[in-house]
Amino acid sequence: MKHKLLIAVIIIIFLAGVIGSVLVLLSPTKSHVRVLSDGKEVYAADLMQAQDTVFDVAYQGHVNTVEIQDHRIRVRAADCPDNTCVHMGWLSSASMPIVCLPHRLVIEFTDDTRSVDAVTR
Amino acid sequence: MSERVRKLTLLGVLTAVSLIIFVIELQIPNPFPIPGIKPGLANIITVYAVYHFEAWEVASMVAVRLVLGAVFSGNFMALIYSASGAVLCLIGMLALRRLIDERHLWIASVFGAVLHNTGQMAAALLVTGTTQLLLYYPFLIVSGCLSGAFTGLCAQLVTARLKRRKK
Repeated sequence: MKHKLLIAVIIIIFLAGVIGSVLVLLSPTKSHVRVLSDGKEVYAADLMQAQDTVFDVAYQGHVNTVEIQDHRIRVRAADCPDNTCVHMGWLSSASMPIVCLPHRLVIEFTDDTRSVDAVTR
Repeated sequence: MSERVRKLTLLGVLTAVSLIIFVIELQIPNPFPIPGIKPGLANIITVYAVYHFEAWEVASMVAVRLVLGAVFSGNFMALIYSASGAVLCLIGMLALRRLIDERHLWIASVFGAVLHNTGQMAAALLVTGTTQLLLYYPFLIVSGCLSGAFTGLCAQLVTARLKRRKK
């Protein structure tokens, strides 16, 4: 009986996780992106207008190479041990940013158009 | 005295085995490119140890595994996340082992895995200060349930085998 109750708790946790994951995956993409390094914005752009480019983001001597191509953005290379950010591929979900934990790098979609203006001006 | 030596030896061997599993797992490419998601096969040993050793013995075994694991993988940043995950996981599982008998070990293992992911997430939030990370949490929970059940079942098999050997 005790075990059945605990199994029920597990099933509820699992289903909540599945539902949450689906919600995160279903959220649509946006066109504005920004790159955060250690919480500070270092790059922002409108992907629909952005030219193809490659640039480095450095943090404490470590480098992530960010690439924009065909209106998509990804981490092309990184010198972190696990390279999870590189394997995540192109940024595809508004609610799932690309993150490089060792280098405190975040690439995410954003609604904020103000910061984009600041860069394009 | 000989009982103490026996226990110490067993703990040493278990630590070594879990380290070997950990290192082998490092070589397996991860199909889910989300920070924090991996099978955690080394925890088969942790789960087994939780049910066969004292709390402080399990804790010191896991501590040694974590530090040496960081040395072998060269990923010391990950140590913060895995250590806070392990602390929460151990507290939860050591509490649950009173509630759950050994035949339902996998249940405790699932809770342990989910707690591990929770600890990891909390540490990552504190260290990076990026709330966007929370969006990974549902994925971590799903993977935690699956890998927790798997490692728990493996630990159950190990326990059954070891019992048969002893007879």
